[in-house]
Amino acid sequence: MILRPRKQDHLLIGKYTGKIVIGVGLLMVIPLITSIVFQEWDTAVDFVISMSACFIFGFGTQIVCRTERDLSWSHGLVVASGSWIVATIIGALPHWLSGHEGSYLDAMFDVMSGYTTTGLYLMQDLDHISHGLNMWRHLLTYAGGQGIVVIALTFLFKGTAGAYKMYVGEGKDERLLPNVVQTARAIWLVSLTWLVIGTAALFGTGLLLGQEPVRAFLHGLWVFMGAWSTGGFAPQSYNTIWFHSLSYEVICIVIMIAGSLNFALHWALWTGNRKELRRNVETVSFTVTLVVTTLVATFWLAKSGVYPDAMSLFRKAFYQLASGHTTTGFSTIYSKAFISQWGPVGMIATMIAMAIGASACSTAGGIKGVRIGIITKAFLQDVRKMISPESAVVRAKYHHIRGILLEDGVVRGALMITVAYMTMYALTAFVGTLYGYPLVTSMFEAVSAGSNTGLSCGLTDPTMPDLMKVLYIFVMWLGRLEFMSVFALIGYGYSMLRGR
Amino acid sequence: MLRRGKTLILVALAGFALVLGGCRVADNPQRSPNDPSSGALVDAPNDWDGKEVTFTGEAIGELMVRGGKAWIHLNDDAYYLKNVEEGAHLGGYNSGMSVWLDTELAREIDIFGDYKLQGDVVTIVGVYNAACGEHGGDMDVHAETLEITAPGRPAEDPVTTGKLLWAIGLAVAAGGLYALSRSWDSLSRHGSRA
Repeated sequence: MILRPRKQDHLLIGKYTGKIVIGVGLLMVIPLITSIVFQEWDTAVDFVISMSACFIFGFGTQIVCRTERDLSWSHGLVVASGSWIVATIIGALPHWLSGHEGSYLDAMFDVMSGYTTTGLYLMQDLDHISHGLNMWRHLLTYAGGQGIVVIALTFLFKGTAGAYKMYVGEGKDERLLPNVVQTARAIWLVSLTWLVIGTAALFGTGLLLGQEPVRAFLHGLWVFMGAWSTGGFAPQSYNTIWFHSLSYEVICIVIMIAGSLNFALHWALWTGNRKELRRNVETVSFTVTLVVTTLVATFWLAKSGVYPDAMSLFRKAFYQLASGHTTTGFSTIYSKAFISQWGPVGMIATMIAMAIGASACSTAGGIKGVRIGIITKAFLQDVRKMISPESAVVRAKYHHIRGILLEDGVVRGALMITVAYMTMYALTAFVGTLYGYPLVTSMFEAVSAGSNTGLSCGLTDPTMPDLMKVLYIFVMWLGRLEFMSVFALIGYGYSMLRGR
Repeated sequence: MLRRGKTLILVALAGFALVLGGCRVADNPQRSPNDPSSGALVDAPNDWDGKEVTFTGEAIGELMVRGGKAWIHLNDDAYYLKNVEEGAHLGGYNSGMSVWLDTELAREIDIFGDYKLQGDVVTIVGVYNAACGEHGGDMDVHAETLEITAPGRPAEDPVTTGKLLWAIGLAVAAGGLYALSRSWDSLSRHGSRA
């Protein structure tokens, strides 16, 4: 029997969702200040409207939803997934008010893409948008990379036991420190330290590349945010082709890879455990799959003779593959060049890299290296069992911060989520083909959206069917939150209608 | 009661879908002045690789000087004569080409387009490279000549009175709710102490 949620449940979910939306409103202070500094008055007014809408919702729920209960697991999951939807609906206001979006759905698409660190966008005439709006786009993705619940935990919560349940609901499960609020702050400490170093490196390089100081700084900051969050937004429509610079690309690759590492790994390195970098199952898995997919793409591109020399070939192949594998979505080729220059094999290699993705509990999406590592180890364990004497006990371990015994439950969990991702990729691609897009094109875009990568071969476009926009919004959200909390929200909605 | 609840949810969803679908018309008639356009160059790179092309577009962003040479970016999209901030209708993504040319030539461009500026419209003649060996495989045009065909200008994006009134009204409402929320919090704290 399904129990219908009671009034207290709604109040509890409303209260915490409201707090998170207040957090989104507070975040808008930064683009508001940016607009004021650059005297972009129309954009500043847009942000006043949008912040006010966030606060009206947030403080309204604090008044209406008064309860002292703490969150249970199902509440935590529902708040995490539900708040992403509410934050998307309200957070889309600045995009919509700017006049650069074809519909409110397009604005929501861009905001969900930002929060989920995907990087696909439908904004039109991007090259003429204000600094304030550009700051908001990149801030969305930077905040989304850490998780909007993490932001709220950092600044707005006093550390209830239920807070951990929201944190897990956002697709993170590592406790860097015993207390979840301290964990959220540790994540921010790591991210902000990288922000300072990464922005400084890109700013200095931008100056050397001939950018004006203000533009070099803003581009450095925004490109850092796009790279670290593995979001892939860039301030110009040319993405990172704009810079035409090997050194800029190298810095971007370092930041993308750093952003795609597990926060627990960052914390281990932060606290002096450097060996972890080469022992961790995720870094090993990532290195192997990145090398293999890059080799496949390089071989194919060399065979097709797309690039004139080995340096150009490697530079283009490695950058797109590193970007795809870290699920960032930066590119130094035009979107449609995936079709016109890279061809099906190059696209499939990129697709595999995107589908696998990077580390769990990072800013990245996709199936995750840890699951690929676990499944591979389990497979090898079974092979060893088959060739060992029947009486032999074959055990396998994997290393993630510490040595962990490979148990059936862990393998089952990894396989379940992997199957869920593969199903999501396949169904989304299927819908694309129903609309008449070629199979490889719709597969590429479906994997890119579902793995929160954001590389595009040109299918994503303001003129694409509305149903596909809704579907992509859904799979970006589903992929980022890793299914469970979205299913919890759907279950909550179902029990409201069908429960007793 | 349950049926009424379901009906309300359905009506709300239908209303929401209508709001979402309420589009600004993407009917900007402006097309690329180029043949081949930037889109055609990306779609069929091998057809044009190594050939001389004439390319017109709005100078966008900035001039990036690299010694005696420089990079500029020319957009030949729906906004190359008038951008969205100036009231142009939506017409899809930006589209353009990277151009590598002598710094001296590039410095003839006065205005590069951004939020506050509509950039100079520039015509260049040069060789198109589908994957330039000199520039790490980038798709670009190496220009030999440059001509300003239309000067740039400031782009006005004034605040409308209606929008300003909305901002004031909503900010006041948000402030009021904040004050109410704080006072209820302090009341309930006093109540629990008593």
